[in-house]
Amino acid sequence: MIFQQIIWQIFHKLKEERTISAPFHLLRGKRSGQTIQDVGIFHLHQYFGILPKLSRKKYDEEINKLIEQNFITVFENGDYTLANNFISDNLLPFDGWHYRGNEHLFFARLSLIVQSLSHKEAGVMAFIPIQKDPQVQKWVRNFLISNEYQGGTLQQQLLNEILISLEQAEADTIVKEVLIKRLAGYKIPGYTWQQLSIYENKDEMDIQLLYISCLHTWLNIITLNEKDFPLLHKIAEDIRIHIPLSDSAFQTAQLFKEGHSLENISQYRRLKMSTIEDHIVELAMNDPHFSINQFISNEEMEQVLTAVEDYDTRKLKVLREILPHLSYFQIRLVLARGDTTSAT
Amino acid sequence: MQLESILQQRFGYSSFRSGQKEVIEQILNGKDVIALLPTGMGKSLCYQLPGYVLNKTVLVISPLLSLMQDQVDQMKLFGEKRVIALNSFLNKEEKNRVINGLEQYRFIFISPEMLAQRQVQQKLNRIELSLIVVDEAHCISQWGFDFRPDYLRIGEMFGTSRSPILALTATATNKVLEDIELYLNMKEPFKYIHSVDRPNIHLSKMSFSNREEKLEWLFQHVSNTAGPGIIYTQSRSKTHSISETLLQNGISAASYHGGMDLLDRQFIQQQFIEGTLDWIVATNAFGMGIHKQDVRQIIHESIPSNMANYMQEIGRAGRDGNDAVAILLYSEHDEELAKFVGIDDLPLEQHVDIFEEYQRNGQDATQMLKQGEISETAFRVLNYWMEQKTPNEVKTIFQNMKIEKMQKVEEVMKLITSDTCMRETLVHYFGQTLNDKPEQCCINCGLDLAQLLIAKEEKNLSSFSMTWQERITNLLTKKS
Repeated sequence: MIFQQIIWQIFHKLKEERTISAPFHLLRGKRSGQTIQDVGIFHLHQYFGILPKLSRKKYDEEINKLIEQNFITVFENGDYTLANNFISDNLLPFDGWHYRGNEHLFFARLSLIVQSLSHKEAGVMAFIPIQKDPQVQKWVRNFLISNEYQGGTLQQQLLNEILISLEQAEADTIVKEVLIKRLAGYKIPGYTWQQLSIYENKDEMDIQLLYISCLHTWLNIITLNEKDFPLLHKIAEDIRIHIPLSDSAFQTAQLFKEGHSLENISQYRRLKMSTIEDHIVELAMNDPHFSINQFISNEEMEQVLTAVEDYDTRKLKVLREILPHLSYFQIRLVLARGDTTSAT
Repeated sequence: MQLESILQQRFGYSSFRSGQKEVIEQILNGKDVIALLPTGMGKSLCYQLPGYVLNKTVLVISPLLSLMQDQVDQMKLFGEKRVIALNSFLNKEEKNRVINGLEQYRFIFISPEMLAQRQVQQKLNRIELSLIVVDEAHCISQWGFDFRPDYLRIGEMFGTSRSPILALTATATNKVLEDIELYLNMKEPFKYIHSVDRPNIHLSKMSFSNREEKLEWLFQHVSNTAGPGIIYTQSRSKTHSISETLLQNGISAASYHGGMDLLDRQFIQQQFIEGTLDWIVATNAFGMGIHKQDVRQIIHESIPSNMANYMQEIGRAGRDGNDAVAILLYSEHDEELAKFVGIDDLPLEQHVDIFEEYQRNGQDATQMLKQGEISETAFRVLNYWMEQKTPNEVKTIFQNMKIEKMQKVEEVMKLITSDTCMRETLVHYFGQTLNDKPEQCCINCGLDLAQLLIAKEEKNLSSFSMTWQERITNLLTKKS
């Protein structure tokens, strides 16, 4: 049910202007120009990449449920319309744009640390690590050594940090319980998704979404408060994405900031001009200090924003027909900026 | 040094279990060895101990990622640091690093597929191995022909002047033993064949006229008798539906299959071992490498696809030597489904034609995989045989495989329909003779389940209702 609400919410934000597959790519965090730009144009940052492993089969199943319940009607060409009777309040908070699946790495580190400290506390120094990824194991080993886990105070410090920070996270108690039930320790096994789903009487997918949402909320508290939560902050190292540009867009941005023209960059990087433009749009979306005035005047920007409002559309093709003197690139830049531009 | 004193020093045991010493002595004499030792008889000691005596790298070829990981974890747990699993848990960088420094390890675990990679081969050619171990060697026969053809290549990979090979298995018929010897290019191997019989496992069966009645009986039985136990069924979806029904009836159960989250699988194992979980509902992929000694019941909700699987699966009961029960359930037409599942993944005649078509047009046959014309497993198998034989021969081979798989289901059906001793049927299947029958041998010899099983006790699942604060506090602070 939660999952269906999220899909419906994405469709709703996309204003019926994209195909039935658009939410799928968004949820998986597809790094294509189209998906990334949609994030900016339709303000979908929160849902970007929250389910990197979502299968097409599962997605189609959920779409079919939405269709069966008449919340959505799909036409043969992939277009769709929404019924207005599926209003979901209390939407779960996500911050997909800044985590993109990295929250699982945070939790993997945390769970191995908790398992280690739990055994340490019980005086059992040999155990089978619950996390098999050698990088996670190496990271945790370094963490434990540099925090002098032998001293015996680390577990109490970590416990205090978890108790205080998780208390602050705005999430249902049940969800916090789910989160902590995914941890295990000496003679305390964790619970599987199937078990949690049956005990809480929710779909497995919904339980996982609750868990991801709670992790995002919690991580936002942790990453903003290094002073209060130094250990958790360390465990969340490199988890939050600070420059959310794709690698390639980042390279283009560097060259552009060094003063190269788009044409030069295109030649130098041997990429199509349209690709370079995609990168600039991505940059405009992510960097509020990046001025788009070098490509489009304030007056023209106003024209685009007015057209969006008057015709109630964000379809590029339609906007281009209304404003034939502007290029697609210029229109996309304005859309990428969205409301933030008009506010300044 | 005396083998016994190494056993005592390294492993803390005062004496060998039957078969171990014979096998180890032959290995130390440089001979190839095939050892059939039942589950729980300490197979891994047969290569671990020589690893310390010979002081050169031991290479262990192992079929399953989870099994490999488990063995490495176990050895590390007992203090061996120079052990590594070369598998897909490693990223490219780490894999290169491990391969470059491969000679520093005493024990290397590897899958046949990884072994076939050129980079690995080149490195291994430059390392002096003391021993090559093929663990679960019946996989050569069970999987090599129709599932994982790289199993058939192991022998040729090591050439003629190689280190001795130890092939280990818990279940092998004479035909399988022949396959092992042939495909591993073994030279007059020493064979240690232990009886496959497990006298403390008591065998029963039940027949029903339809699936509903069978499930009804299963739920009743599990509600009334104590575990811990494993219920085997055919598909992932059935593991879900059965475990859910059990849970709704207040029985502590969980599904377990290969498609699960890795963390979830470990939670289940830990719960099962700690005793908070009574029943695991599993597909056949489960269990190689679970270390629970006191499993009391194995129930087959669906009939297994062959006798070898059945033997393996019931072998997970009663490792502590105490009485355990294996119950085989059957409802009419079950064998049809078992046959279908068995042959479902085999390549079809038309696949052979398509493969040929691509080759004739000078195209890469992997196209058919990309076009979704064939499953990955089927393609791997098809590709292997097309390298070896003509298209018509390949068609015949697949046709024969299909027939053989169906016959294997029929063999299992004999256990269901015949009224001769079940234990005898099993043991004879492996080409052995049964010398002694235990008390309460099987349902055909006379068996009273009530005497072997104890009644289910009510369990308190209080730990689930803990607050999150209590749980994390419990995890991180000493329990008073």
